[in-house]
Amino acid sequence: MKIRARFEKLEEVKYLSHLELIRLFRRAFRRAGLPLAYSRGFNPHVLLSLGPPLKVGMIGRNEYFDLELSDEIRIDSFISSVNRELPEGLRILEAVSIPEGTKPLMAVINTAVYIFDMTLRERIQSEEKMLEKFLSENRIIVTRHRRNKEDIEIDIRPLIFAGELIEPGKWKFQVKCSSQGNLRPEELGAALADYYTEVEFVPVVNIQREGLYIKIGAELYIPSDDMVIGELR
Amino acid sequence: MDLAAKLDEVLYQVSNPVRYIGNEWNIIKKEWNKEKIKIALAFPDLYEIGMSHLGLKILYHLLNMEEDIICERTYAPWHDMEELMRNEGIPLFSLENKKAVNEFDVFGFTLQYEMSYTNVINMLDLACLPIYSKDRGEKHPLVIGGGSSIYNPEPLAPFFDLFFIGEAETGIVDLMRRYRELKDKKIPKEDILFELSRLPGVYVPGLYKADYRDGGKVVSINPVRDGVKEKIRRQVVRDLDQAFYPTKFLVPYMDIVHDRAVIEIARGCTRSCRFCAAGMSYRPVRERSKETIIKLADEILQNTGYEELSLSSLSTIDYSDITELVKSLSRRYQDRKISISLPSLRVDRFSVNLAKEVQRVRKSGLTFAPEAGTQRLRDVINKGVAEEELYDAVRAAFEAGWSTIKLYFMLGLPTETIEDLDGIVQLAHKVLEIGREIRRNRKINMKQVQVNVSVSTFVPKPFTPFQWVEMISREEIEERQQYLRNRLKRKGIVFSWNDPDLSLLEGVFSRGDRRLAPVLESAWKKGARFDGWNESFSMENWQESFSENRIEMSEYLRKREPDEILPWDHINMGVSKKFLQKEYERALKGELTGDCRSAGCTGCNICFELDAVMELIGGEKDENQGKI
Repeated sequence: MKIRARFEKLEEVKYLSHLELIRLFRRAFRRAGLPLAYSRGFNPHVLLSLGPPLKVGMIGRNEYFDLELSDEIRIDSFISSVNRELPEGLRILEAVSIPEGTKPLMAVINTAVYIFDMTLRERIQSEEKMLEKFLSENRIIVTRHRRNKEDIEIDIRPLIFAGELIEPGKWKFQVKCSSQGNLRPEELGAALADYYTEVEFVPVVNIQREGLYIKIGAELYIPSDDMVIGELR
Repeated sequence: MDLAAKLDEVLYQVSNPVRYIGNEWNIIKKEWNKEKIKIALAFPDLYEIGMSHLGLKILYHLLNMEEDIICERTYAPWHDMEELMRNEGIPLFSLENKKAVNEFDVFGFTLQYEMSYTNVINMLDLACLPIYSKDRGEKHPLVIGGGSSIYNPEPLAPFFDLFFIGEAETGIVDLMRRYRELKDKKIPKEDILFELSRLPGVYVPGLYKADYRDGGKVVSINPVRDGVKEKIRRQVVRDLDQAFYPTKFLVPYMDIVHDRAVIEIARGCTRSCRFCAAGMSYRPVRERSKETIIKLADEILQNTGYEELSLSSLSTIDYSDITELVKSLSRRYQDRKISISLPSLRVDRFSVNLAKEVQRVRKSGLTFAPEAGTQRLRDVINKGVAEEELYDAVRAAFEAGWSTIKLYFMLGLPTETIEDLDGIVQLAHKVLEIGREIRRNRKINMKQVQVNVSVSTFVPKPFTPFQWVEMISREEIEERQQYLRNRLKRKGIVFSWNDPDLSLLEGVFSRGDRRLAPVLESAWKKGARFDGWNESFSMENWQESFSENRIEMSEYLRKREPDEILPWDHINMGVSKKFLQKEYERALKGELTGDCRSAGCTGCNICFELDAVMELIGGEKDENQGKI
C-alpha cells in the first residue's frame, strides 16, 4: 500500500537538511517496525519520496512524503507508531492511503506559501501600501547564486502569484514551487530588502513555509486532497 | 545568556549547523540541577568524526546510567562556527542542555590523534578556561584526558589536571564521585589532585617532575611528593562479555563518518605487528560471546533503526568463530535488509569470501594492508602476509565482483631500501593485471579495474618495538614519495600519499615530552586548528612555533638509545620494555613472532603485569546455539 503523509518540521529540527530528513525518516520507520517495501537491486532502499526540499533553517508547517509499504496497515496506527519514533519538532499530522498510479508529489506540487517575519527599521508608510507597491512592479530582478556556476540575474515577478499582509510584520506570499520554475524564498527576502530601505535583510530563520499546494486555476488544493489523489481512493 | 535560544537564532550562518544542535535520537538530556555531578565529554575534532568514535559513546551511556551523574557532549567547532562563537560571545557549550562547559564539574577529552592537540587547547579557551592546569583553580572544571594517543601524554601534560590511563569504563564513575566528594570538602586543588592520584590508572602530571638535558634526553621523571605512585598502570576491562555495552546508541542526523550500528565483538589484537601501537596497547585479546553479540545486536538495531551493522575489533576476522557469528547474524537480519560489515579484513581469501557473503551492498572497494612491499620487510615488521596470499585474496575479490582494490603500505619503515619500494610498485601492477585478466574473462559486466595505492609515512610510536628508531627525514620522505609517484603513473592505478610535514609533526608529538607544550600553545596562538585537515594546516605556523621556543624537531625524531629514559617510562602499558627491546632485535634479524592465541606465550608480560587474561570465548559452543 502507498501512504501520503502530511507533517510538520518545526524549530527543533529546522537545521536538518533534506537528505538528513530522509535518513531520519527511514530509521524512524525501521524502529516503528513498519512493513517497508524496498527497491530492487544490489542496494535496496526504502521507497520513500519527499516533496520539495525545505531550506535549512526554515520551518515547515505542512510538508509531505509518500511511502510504500509491503503490507496493509491502519492509517491511525501508522501515524501513532511513526510519531512515537520521531524527535521533537517533527510530527505526522495526517496520512491518507493513495492508489497505485497516483502522481508523485514532485510532479504535482506547483505552489508554496511562505510567511515572512519582517523587521522594519521605521514605519513611515503602511505595510499594506508597501506590499501593494512591491507587487505592482512588472519586473523584480534578483541575483541567483548557483553551485559551481556563475551567478545569474533573474526576474522573480512572474513567480509570485500573490502577497498578503496577515498582521503587522507578517507578510504572506504565494509563489511558484515546481520543477518548471521555483522561487527561492531567500531570493524574495533579498528582493524585499533591496526594494525597501526600511526593510532589513530577512534571515532564513524568519521565513516559514506555511504549506505546499497544487494550484489549479485559482484554486489551491493540498496534496492529500481527494481532488488531487483522484477518484480511485 | 540563554544559549539555546541564541544558537537557534544564529546557526543558519554556519556550514552544517546540524553539528551543533544536539537533539539526536536517544539523546540523554537530564534535568540540570546542583546536586548532580556533571561531566562534559569532548572529542577534539568535528562532530562527524567524534560521533563516529565508539569509546566516547560507551562512556556517555555508561556515565548517564548513573542517577547522580549528568554526562553531556561537545565537539570542536569548525572555523566558521568558532568565529561566530567568538563574535557573539558564545562559550563552548554542551549539546544536551546547551550549558557552557565551564558550568560542569569535569571537562573530559578523548585523545585519539596527535594532530588534534591544538583543538584541545582551542576548546579549553572557547570554554573560557585558562589553558594551563596551573592557572586553573578549584572553581574551574577538572580537565581530564584519556584515549589511545595519551599512552604518551607528556606533550599535553601541562594542560591537563589528570589523565586516565587505560580503559576508562573501569574507573570513570569512581573518579567522578571521588572528585565531587573532595570538591565538596572545599580543599585546595592541589590536595584534591593528590587524593585522586591514588585511584588506579589516574595520572596527575603535576605530581611528577621531568628533568631534561640539551639534545632532548630525559634525565629523570620522578614524583614530587611522598605517596605518589612511581608508575601508572594501565587499567583494563576483565570479562568483556559481561562488561557494559550501550544499546540505546545516539543516532545522528548528520551523515557521520561511521554511520551505522557498531558492536565491539572483541578488544585487543595479539598479531604483534611491530609498528602498531594499538596492537601492543590494547592487549590482552578479549572476545564477547556470540550469544551476547546477538542479543546486543537485536537491541541496538531496534533502538536505532540502523540499516547496517558493523562488527568492530582491531582484527575482526580473528574472532574465534567469525564464520558462524557472521552467518547467524546475516540470516537473522536478512528480511530487514540489514547488511553486516567487517571493518578490518585480513589479507586472505577467507576474509574476502566472508565479506562477499555478508555485504549485501557491493561497496566501492575492498581494502587490504600488506604494509610493506617485500617479504623481507614484511618479516621485519612481523606482518605475516605472503605475496601469494595477497594475490589469492585480490583474485577472490575481483571474482566476487569488486572492481576497486585499495592497498595500504607504509613508507620509511626501519631497514627500508629501494627494493622495498620497488616491491610496492610490483605488487600494485600485479594486482591491476590480475584484475584486468579476470575482467576480460568474465561474461557479465564489470567496472574498469582500479587499484588505489595508499602509502602513508611510518611514524615510530611509543610502546612499540620501533619506539627507539629514527624517523626518516623530510628529504627522504619526499624522495621516496617521488620515486613511487614516478613508477605508479599508470591508468588504473591511483597513488596517494600523506603530507610529509604532517607525518613529521605527528612523529614529534607521539614521542614528545613536556617541552613541547609551549610549542603547541604558540602554534595555537598563531591560528593552528584542525591540523589534520589539509585546508587548515600551515607548516609555517609550526616552524615559527618551534623556533620561537628554541626546539629542533629533529631532537624528537632521532634514534633513542636502548638505555635511555623515555618520556613515557613512568606509564606502565603492561607490555614490558624488555619484550619490546627483544622484538626490536628480532625485527632487525627478520625473525617472526607468533600470535599468542595459537603459538603460545610470546612473553609480552601483559597478563602478569595487568592481572588480566585472554578471553577467547567466541568459539565456545552454547547449548542454545541451534536456536539462533
